Amino acid sequence: MISTSIRRQFRSIVGEDWFLETPEDLATYSYDAFLQEFKPDGVMVPGNIDQISKIMDIASKEKINIIPRGAGTNICGSSVARKGGMMMAFHRLNRILEIDHESMCAVVQPGVVNADLQKEVEKQGLMYPPDPASLFVSTIGGNVALNAGGPRGVKYGVTRDYLLGLEVVLPSGEVVRTGGKALKSVSGYDLTRLMCGSEGTLGIFTEIILRLVPLPPAKATLQAIFSDLDDAATTVSAIIGSGIVPTTLELIDRVVLEVIRDYGGAQFPEGAEALLLIEVDGEKEVVEGQGERIEQFCRKRGAVSVERASSPEKAEKLWQARRSAFGAVAGLRPNCIVEDATVPVKRLPGMIRKIVEISEKYTLKIGVLAHAGDGNLHPLIMTDLRDKEEMARIDKAVEELFEAAISMGGTLSGEHGIGIAKDRFMSMEFSERAIELMRGIKRVFDPNNILNPGSFL
Amino acid sequence: MAVNNHERSQMIWESFADEFDQCIKCGLCQATCPVCKELLLEKYTPRGKIQLTRYYCRGDLELSEHFRDIFAKCLLCGVCSVTCPSGVDLRSVFTGMREELTKKQGVHPKARPAVTSLMEHHNLSGEDNEERGDWRDDIKDTPGHRYEWEKARVVYFVGCVASFFPMVQEIPRKLVQILDSAGVDFTILAGEEWCCGFPLIGAGSPQQMVEAMKHNLEKVRAAGARRIVFSCPSCLKTWKEHYETDLELFHSSEFIRELIAGGDISLGPLDTRVTYHDPCDLGRNGGIYDAPRQILEAIPGVTLVELEKNRAQSVCCGGGGNLEMVAPELSIRIAGKKMEEIQRTGADTVVTSCQQCVRTIKGMVRREKAKFEVTDITGLVFRSMSLARTDDRPGRDHQTYESM
Repeated sequence: MISTSIRRQFRSIVGEDWFLETPEDLATYSYDAFLQEFKPDGVMVPGNIDQISKIMDIASKEKINIIPRGAGTNICGSSVARKGGMMMAFHRLNRILEIDHESMCAVVQPGVVNADLQKEVEKQGLMYPPDPASLFVSTIGGNVALNAGGPRGVKYGVTRDYLLGLEVVLPSGEVVRTGGKALKSVSGYDLTRLMCGSEGTLGIFTEIILRLVPLPPAKATLQAIFSDLDDAATTVSAIIGSGIVPTTLELIDRVVLEVIRDYGGAQFPEGAEALLLIEVDGEKEVVEGQGERIEQFCRKRGAVSVERASSPEKAEKLWQARRSAFGAVAGLRPNCIVEDATVPVKRLPGMIRKIVEISEKYTLKIGVLAHAGDGNLHPLIMTDLRDKEEMARIDKAVEELFEAAISMGGTLSGEHGIGIAKDRFMSMEFSERAIELMRGIKRVFDPNNILNPGSFL
Repeated sequence: MAVNNHERSQMIWESFADEFDQCIKCGLCQATCPVCKELLLEKYTPRGKIQLTRYYCRGDLELSEHFRDIFAKCLLCGVCSVTCPSGVDLRSVFTGMREELTKKQGVHPKARPAVTSLMEHHNLSGEDNEERGDWRDDIKDTPGHRYEWEKARVVYFVGCVASFFPMVQEIPRKLVQILDSAGVDFTILAGEEWCCGFPLIGAGSPQQMVEAMKHNLEKVRAAGARRIVFSCPSCLKTWKEHYETDLELFHSSEFIRELIAGGDISLGPLDTRVTYHDPCDLGRNGGIYDAPRQILEAIPGVTLVELEKNRAQSVCCGGGGNLEMVAPELSIRIAGKKMEEIQRTGADTVVTSCQQCVRTIKGMVRREKAKFEVTDITGLVFRSMSLARTDDRPGRDHQTYESM
């Protein structure tokens, strides 16, 4: 419980309108996009760094848990008050402070929405590459905390690859700056990148410096359909091995294709086992040549149909199947659990076969969407949370799935994070010593364990 | 079960459970909701409101004044429903929750005057319903019949806002002249037209509509009409969804499109660049996107520049969901964003097909002294007709337009 006097102090720091404790507020800050919910003791929406610093000063002295939250779109439960405490939301810190064209970087506040930043930098012929599916809603602060990826990751990597510097309020209330606008820096430990993916456990970002790249002038978009999953998988390897680095290389398996078809999303040839959506970007002439070569790769490896978009509208049409996939699958049963196991690219077909095997073993309906170009799989488990018996089977299936991914040299999470969703599996991927190192880092930053406690550590 | 303990209606639970069970809490609805973009806090997001409904139905939350206020801060524009990847019908949950709130707490205090006026005077404005047809007084050379006939094939259902609010009375004034000059056998119901009941749905009190529905249907039947034309998309939608009738119901844009196609209207050139705002209840919630665009295409010299968000993605003008009554400041902020979106197209004129959108956007243009014109599609058609070559023109004298 947080005393009335402390509440009064918090309220006076953020102001009456931004200290929330009605039942309606507690209910609506009890969740993110993961399943489990925990009601916080209150919600604060600070308007500047000084307020955050003052709040943390009190919180560390009084040992009050603080849980930072962006738009609450993460699907690993990394922004819920698992151990109680105050939510800290960044709705008000939503300004793009600077777009520095000469230094190719942007300085933003944590509450800026990813798509809003993209739109602004595109006006100047620049691009901010990380494009998580939640980009129209999720914030840069949240993206940094979760090290968000996206379909463009094959070529462009993830949030960490674009993070240059941070202003951070530590759990004690002290403020530190890490990194800066310099594109290269090897001074000391890389605190900036340590913060990235820390899921709100080390510090609160108040200013974020991001690297930008030139907006590529042209794109080529292709869709290839295969009647054999292995043909699709070898095509993926062939493309990656040819020296072409696609922006996007997405795979949709038979189960998901069938759901999309029944949903009315698109039509596919009979016997379609896998669909590849491939996009390359760059200079017009280069992209056209690459598009042709990819088309040949696909045909040579047995694609039953290949379509290359001749206009942006046609490209958008090819994207439709991929974009409608999640909605179609989510609509089929009351709930849909999205997993995130990731393996080295060449192990992708093996991993997909393993998923099929697991779904048969536990009689579950699991479809696969994959960012195939970087080995990042999204098995979609269609279920009904109220079905306790099925949920028990899912628990076992998921465990087996992670074991398989790890045994192939993969990881628990490619881009969604650990949070409270997968903390129990951490020991599969890390030794006790490695986890102890992480705990040690946490103690250095947050000796009182007040920042998002109960998350993955 | 908690639901029974709290005497919550099992019906509410059952009708909503499918919807909130379908919500995966992804939060993508925040991307398009005009209200939560202004108010920021999670409780004002569509996801937040769905979760509040779930908490309430489960017996974990009481209905408070604050709870009601949250649900009142919604335009019922339905853009969340088309954004949701899981296909949750958020709009009907929000309408249903308003109904539940009204049942438990009575009508929202700020919506009470409108509801009272509706029950007492059969219109939104609080005026005597006999004045419903007074807009005709400003038509120069109004024919003796004043567009009122005992029998007619078509009834033009004018709607409260266009009947009583001077800022948009030009819509019926022009539509009756368009219909007249096209030789349509139509009548208005004047003082015998009652509010369709739409504001009662927004106020969570749809059961109070019954009398009005009966009355309106009877009057149309008495006129012997088989077809009704509406210039108000919300009246049209209310009739389609709540009036059980086999009468043919048209929006004015559909009706005018047919008149153009049939050669009953001649259009003259207008040298103008326009953008088109899809009203929520006509477009996204009514499925009518093409008729107004086909009219624009038929008018010589009109260039259409689409808004960034159009058709199903159209952003509400701020005038929906009774928001203007309960939170006028918020409604104005949203209208301000609409105005900016319109300005970015560089169009001289924004055309829409709804008197409420015209009112809201025009109000904003006046407040901000913006430099574009706002008109209902009937206004544009009327102007174009008045510029048609005289020998082509079946209708009345050019002077009529000039003098208006």
